[in-house]
Amino acid sequence: MRLSPLVRLLIGFAVPRGPHREALLGDLAEEMSTRAIRDGEAASRRWALREALSIAARMRLDRLSPSAPRRDLSLAHDAPGTPKHDTTLTRRVISSRGVLPMDALIANARYALRRMGRSPWFTLTAIVSLGLGIGANTAVFSLVNAVFLIDPGFDRSERLVDVYMSQPGFTHGTLSYPDFQSIEEGVDAFSQVETMRLAFVQLEQEGRLETLTAEAVSGGWFSMLGIDVVLGRGLTPEDHVEPGAHPVVVLGHSTWVNQHGADPGVVGRTIRLGGREYEIVGVANERYRGSLRGLEAQLLLPVLQYDELSGTAGNSYRSRRSQSYFPKATLAAGVTPEAAEAALDRLAADLRAEFPDIWTEDEGLTLVPTRDVVINPMIDRYVSQTAGVLLVVVALVLLIACANLASFLLARASDRRKEIAVRLAMGAKRRALIGQLLTETTLLSVLGGGVGVGVATWAMRTLQTADLPLPLPITLDLSLDLRVLAFSLLVSLVAGLLFGLVPALQATNPALAPTLRDETAGGGRARGAALRNLLVAGQVGVSVVLLVGAGLFLRSFAAMQEIDLGFSEGPAALVELITPSARYDHVERRAFWDRLTTDVERIPGVRQVGITDNIPLNQLNTQTIGVQVDGMEPTNGASDFSVDWTMIDEHFLEAMGIELLAGRGFDGGDTEESQRVVIVSPAFADFFFQTRDVVGRSFTMRGQETVIVGLTEEVKVRTPGEAPRPYLMVPWTQSTSTSYVLVASTEGDADALATQVVRAAQAIDPEIMIFRAMTMDRHLAAMRIGRILGAQVIGGFAALALLLASIGLYGVVAYSVARRSREVGIRISLGAESGQVVRMLTLSGLRIVAAGVVVGLGLSALLTQALSRLLYGVSGLDPVTFVGVPVLILVVSWLASWIPARRATGVDPVTALRSD
Amino acid sequence: MGGSGRSDGFPGELEQMVMLAALRLGDDAYGAAIGQDLEAAVGRRVSRGAMYVTLDRLEAKGWIRSSMSAPVPERGGRPRRIVEVTPTGLDRLRRSRAALETLWDGLEPLAREG
Repeated sequence: MRLSPLVRLLIGFAVPRGPHREALLGDLAEEMSTRAIRDGEAASRRWALREALSIAARMRLDRLSPSAPRRDLSLAHDAPGTPKHDTTLTRRVISSRGVLPMDALIANARYALRRMGRSPWFTLTAIVSLGLGIGANTAVFSLVNAVFLIDPGFDRSERLVDVYMSQPGFTHGTLSYPDFQSIEEGVDAFSQVETMRLAFVQLEQEGRLETLTAEAVSGGWFSMLGIDVVLGRGLTPEDHVEPGAHPVVVLGHSTWVNQHGADPGVVGRTIRLGGREYEIVGVANERYRGSLRGLEAQLLLPVLQYDELSGTAGNSYRSRRSQSYFPKATLAAGVTPEAAEAALDRLAADLRAEFPDIWTEDEGLTLVPTRDVVINPMIDRYVSQTAGVLLVVVALVLLIACANLASFLLARASDRRKEIAVRLAMGAKRRALIGQLLTETTLLSVLGGGVGVGVATWAMRTLQTADLPLPLPITLDLSLDLRVLAFSLLVSLVAGLLFGLVPALQATNPALAPTLRDETAGGGRARGAALRNLLVAGQVGVSVVLLVGAGLFLRSFAAMQEIDLGFSEGPAALVELITPSARYDHVERRAFWDRLTTDVERIPGVRQVGITDNIPLNQLNTQTIGVQVDGMEPTNGASDFSVDWTMIDEHFLEAMGIELLAGRGFDGGDTEESQRVVIVSPAFADFFFQTRDVVGRSFTMRGQETVIVGLTEEVKVRTPGEAPRPYLMVPWTQSTSTSYVLVASTEGDADALATQVVRAAQAIDPEIMIFRAMTMDRHLAAMRIGRILGAQVIGGFAALALLLASIGLYGVVAYSVARRSREVGIRISLGAESGQVVRMLTLSGLRIVAAGVVVGLGLSALLTQALSRLLYGVSGLDPVTFVGVPVLILVVSWLASWIPARRATGVDPVTALRSD
Repeated sequence: MGGSGRSDGFPGELEQMVMLAALRLGDDAYGAAIGQDLEAAVGRRVSRGAMYVTLDRLEAKGWIRSSMSAPVPERGGRPRRIVEVTPTGLDRLRRSRAALETLWDGLEPLAREG
C-alpha cells in the first residue's frame, strides 16, 4: 500500500527532509499495511491520515512554539550534513533575494484575509467555484493518467510488438494456441514469441472459493517483459513443457500482500487452485500489474496449466478455434516492423490455404508496437475518445470557475478604485499596492486549490470504492496526481493574476483626479463592467455546451432502456458453474445439472429454472457455429456461415421469458439419439430462407442434417444496440460443454437467490467451480454502464457548470443593480412602478444570457459530432435537447437576475439617492 | 547534549512508556513497533504525533539515541529509525520507578483494588 500524497504532504510540512522524515513515513506505510489486513484498506487509510494530521500538528507546534525550551531540537533532528531548519534564516534568505520581504508578505496576506472576511459570501463563492474546478480537473486527469500514462510495469522496448488477428470490423482480435505456435515456428522476423491468455481461476481457501484473475503465460514471458520477482523465481521455459505437468504459480504482488500478509516465507507453500495443489515458486514485483492495463494479474501460471484449471475437456492447445491468446514478439535484429508485417502476411496466407474453414479470406495477421497499445487498439480508440470528452468537460468547468474568479476580481477592483486612489494620494507606492492586490489573488487561488485537493481526493475515493457492474474485475491504481494539481492551481493563478493585475494596474494609474471626483456618481460604467458581461456570456455559453452533452447522454440512455432485448429483464439469478472434465463425465454432468435444477425449483419464490451455456449479452464470450444452407454460398471463401448460437435446456425459454413465435420448444423427446433440432431467430429465418415460415425446414450443421422446430422472437445477442442477428439454439442433450449458466427467475430477491443457488450447488458437490454468481440486473447494468456513467458524470459537471454560471450571473446583476441604485431610486421616486424597474433590471441580465445561449448552441452543434460514436438512438442534433437546454438556462438565469433586481427595488429612495 | 533544563527531572508518563516499550522491544524498537506495542499494552489509542514528539524530546535530552537501519522493501524502501535507551535514560527510569515505589509504600491494599 502506498501512502497517499496528502499524508506525504503533511509529513513533509511537519518534518524537515532527511532520514528522520523517511523513517517516519516508513513507519506509517508499514503500519498502514498491517492495519489494512486487520481493519480493511479504507479504515487504514483513514488511520494514516488522522495520525499524519496529529503528527503535523504536534511536531510543528513543538518546533515553532517560542516558549518551548527546545528550540535547538532541529539540531538533534538533522543528520550530519543536512542544513538546519531555522525560520529566521529562511526569512532572511527570502528578503535578501529581493523577492517580497517576508513581513510585508504576511502583512499583505493578513490585510487580504481581512478584506475577504468583509464580503464572506462573495469570497466563499470564488473559492468554492475554483475548488470545484481544480478538484474536478485533478480527479479526471489523475484517472486518465492512471489509464494512459502510468508505467505499464514491464519493459516495452522498441522491438516488442503485439500480434493480433485482423478482419474487417474486428481489427485486433486474439489468436489460438496453434496460431501462436505457427508464428513462433514460421516467422523468422521474430527472435522470440511468447503468449498469454487470461484465466479466471478458483482459489480455495478455508472452505471458501474465490475467483482470481490470472495470466496464463508461456515459458519466456517473464524474461521477455523483464518481470522481476521480489521472492523466489519467475516462470521459465522449464514450466512450459507438458500440458498439466506444471502445478506452479507466481503470486502477483498485491495477492502476496493482501492474502499472505507479505509473508517472506511464502515460497514453497501450496495453494489450491481449481481443485489441485499449486506450489508458490515466486512473487512478482510491485510494478507488474498485468500486461492488459486495468486487469490486474493476481496470479501468474504456466499457460499449459490452463486446460486443467478451467476444467476444459480435451486439449484446447490443439484447437485453432479456441482464439483467446495474446501473443507478443520481439523483432529479430535488423528487422523492421514493416518486414515483420510482411512475414506475418505470408504466414496468414499459408494459414488460409491450410485451414480454410477457420482462416477465411478476409482474415489476416497484424502487429502493433506494444508501446502504442494501452489495452487493445480497438478498445483504446473508444477509451481515448471517452477520456477526450471527459478532459474537455472538466477543462470547461475550470474555465467557468476561472471566469467566476475573474468576475469577482473585476468587481472587487472597480469597488476599490477609490480606496486605492486615496492611498496613492497619501503617498503609497504603486508597486506596494499592486503587490497587495496580487497577494489577494494568490491567496484566493491557493485557498481554492486547498478546496480542490479535498474535492479531488473525495471524488477519487468515491470512484475507487464504487461497486461498478463491470464484466471484468478492473483495478486502477488511482492516486492524486500532484503535477496535475499543480497545473490546475497554476491555471487558476494565472487567470487570477491576469484578471487581478489588469484592473490593479488600471486602478493604480496615476490619473487620480477623476477617480477621486467619483466617476460612479452619475451611473457611468466602470471599465470592468463590459468585461464582466462578456465573462458571464461566455460562462453561459460553456454551460450550454455541457448541458447539451449531458442531455444527449441522458436521451441516449433512455433510448437504450426502451430497447426490447427479447428476453425478460425481471428479477433472476444467474449462476455459472464449471463441472470439470477431470471429475465429470458426460452422464455425471447431466445428473448434476438435473439435480441442481430440481433443487433450485424447490426454493420458495422461484418461478422457472433453465440452463444455457452462454447467456445473451455476455460480454466476455461470443460463440459461433458453422452452418451450411442449400443454395447459399458464403462470400468470404469459407465453407460455411458463422452463426451465433447457444445450448439450452427445455425450460430456458420460459426462465428467460423468450417468446416462441412458431413451432415448439425443446422437450424430453430431443435426445442424443434423436433427430438434430434447433430453434432459430427471425433474423436467421430472413437471412437463410427469406421467410419466417421456417419450422420444418432443414440445413447442415456439424455435418448433420438439422431441422428447425421453433422460431423465437428477436433476441439481442452481443450488444443491446445491434441490428437483428441470426441466432440459433441447440438442445443441450445434443451438444456438450463443461460450464453452464443456471437462470432462475424469481418473485423475490434475486441477489439472495443467487447465493442460495450457489449453496445448493455446493451441497451436491462441495468442490464445484463457481465461475460467476450474479443477477439479471447486474448483468444488464454491465451492458449499460458506459451510458449510465456518461449521463451521470457529464450531467453532474453540467449541473455544476450551470450553478457556477448562475452564481456569476447573480453577481453581475447584483453588482450592476448596486451601481445603479441611485438611478433606481430616482426612477422610483419619480413614480416608476417597482415591477417595471425589476423587469428592466432583469432584462438587462437576460440580454447577456441570450447572447451566451446563441453562441453555446452553435458550439454544441459543432462539438456533438465528436460524441456521436458514444451515443445510441439519438442524433447529435437531437431537437429535444437543443430546445430543452436553452429553456432550462433561461429559467435559471431569469431567477438569478430577478432575485437581486427584486431586492434593489426594496431600497428606500432616500437612502439610494444619498448613496455615493 | 540538549542542555535543556528539564533533563534533570523525572520523565513524564508518555516518556516513561516510550522508553519502556523501547526496552521491551530491544533491537526491534522503532516508531511503528513502539506505537503498536504501546497500544497493545495500554489498551487505548496512542497519538502518533505525541509519540514522535516524545521520541525527539527524549533524544534531545540524551535519554535515548537512534540510528537508521538499512532500507526496508516493505516500507517502500525506507529505513527504520531504531531507538535505544541510553544509560542515562535507564537511570531516569529506575529513579522514577523507585520514587513511585516509595510513594506507594504502605498503600498495597489500594494498589490491588481494580
